[in-house]
Amino acid sequence: MSHKFPILIAGMLLTAVVVIGQQTPATRTQAPAAAGTTTKTVPPPAAAKAPAAAKPWTMPRTPDGQPDLQGYWTNATYAPLERAVANANKPFFTKEEFEARVKAAALQDEQQTTPGTTGDVHYDFTQFGLDKSQNTFAMDLRTGMITDPPDGRIPAQTAEAQKRGRDRTAAYRPAGGYDAVQNIVIGSRCIIYAPPPGPPMLPQGYNGNYQIIQSRDSVMILFEQIGDVRIIPLDNRPAPPLSVRNTMGISRGRWDGDTLVVETTNFAERPQGRNAALNGISDNFKLIERFKRTGEDTFDYEFTVNDPGTFVKPWTASMPFSRIKGPILEAACHEGNYGIEDTMAGARMADKKAAEAAGKK
Amino acid sequence: MRIKIAVALAGCCLLLASLPVWAHHAFAAEFDVNQPLKLTGTLKKWEMINPHSWFHVQVKGADGKIVDWMVEGGSPNALVREGVTKDTVPIGTMLIIDAYRAKSGENKAVGRDFTLPDGKRLFLGGSAQNIAPPAK
Repeated sequence: MSHKFPILIAGMLLTAVVVIGQQTPATRTQAPAAAGTTTKTVPPPAAAKAPAAAKPWTMPRTPDGQPDLQGYWTNATYAPLERAVANANKPFFTKEEFEARVKAAALQDEQQTTPGTTGDVHYDFTQFGLDKSQNTFAMDLRTGMITDPPDGRIPAQTAEAQKRGRDRTAAYRPAGGYDAVQNIVIGSRCIIYAPPPGPPMLPQGYNGNYQIIQSRDSVMILFEQIGDVRIIPLDNRPAPPLSVRNTMGISRGRWDGDTLVVETTNFAERPQGRNAALNGISDNFKLIERFKRTGEDTFDYEFTVNDPGTFVKPWTASMPFSRIKGPILEAACHEGNYGIEDTMAGARMADKKAAEAAGKK
Repeated sequence: MRIKIAVALAGCCLLLASLPVWAHHAFAAEFDVNQPLKLTGTLKKWEMINPHSWFHVQVKGADGKIVDWMVEGGSPNALVREGVTKDTVPIGTMLIIDAYRAKSGENKAVGRDFTLPDGKRLFLGGSAQNIAPPAK
């Protein structure tokens, strides 16, 4: 089945409503000296580039003649993956509604947690510039990223898929908590980010940045957190049998005109992706991604899920990627992972105290 | 003064926007919600590392003795993108830190809030560019 139609529509919609020229990070305003609190204003969005006056944009190419997707990018956005049920017939927010949403989210990020609660036992994201409003994000006015089905919602999963999802999640979450390294979630152990950064590459919490490098024979996509890497060969080699699996699946790419088409199979049987709907994917699951450079500072990313063993209908979503200033500071996670050591020290202290208390009885 | 949030649960759920739930629980397993601290110390070293940066501060106790503390902060990557370097917070800078102590009982904590002596929150309000080197 031809996928040209959906990507054409998605491209048109994105061009029409996404102000290319991504939102610059919110300016950090001066803190009022007395209260020690901060206020932040969200600057007005960058004006759309006037298409008529500018030099017509041409597709940049690598020395091998491929469209050039290289550089540093983020897919941070305020558009959710799924449209809220109430927005089933409302594909776009107005600019005012969008700005209000961004402002509300920035305010929520800025508000501090309540002392003495579990939520307070954490560094402050805003202080370290990690909240979304202080970083580059796309001016995407859509109410959701899903372009098919038309209501913008993920189709229902099969009963088998739901069960697989439940079983895998139960096996994955730490049973004992944090008393042994093996019970600690894989992301804290710096093995791979949890949830893995795709595919599909859904927006992540923070440091949700990517670097793309292309060669004649392959495309590399580095994700900032933990430095997780996808290497996508372009040389038509077949995917290995299902006995070989990978948390991020095994990808194969090819150029279809100016669109990079990537097919990924062989996913490991573990919870996948930022959305729980992907936790129960079947062995036949194949994800198709399409990357198309759309401007100086953007490329369009679309993915299609089509697996009757997992979802009752296929579905497609798309999002713009926005250019960011590089380089990406190496997130050499394990190098600085004092957290594991400290958590074990705490657990052993708790064991010691429990043993002493038991000994006294 | 912290902005109190009407619904206590919101304090937990706010972070869900930025973090997976498990990462949140990881902190609560490492640091003790029942041991809040206020540390005042001078910066000995700032390890700008991942997954979380660590501030080494020298804290003077009531007995006058200097004790070394390690305080966990956020990934420095976003700050680095904004131009923060290892020289931005000079060695010897005084920091006032609202923290929670490590469950291990060691002199380690997670820094809920880092404040400079003038009341500015570290890295916010342009303070990163304006930290005066400590008087020699």
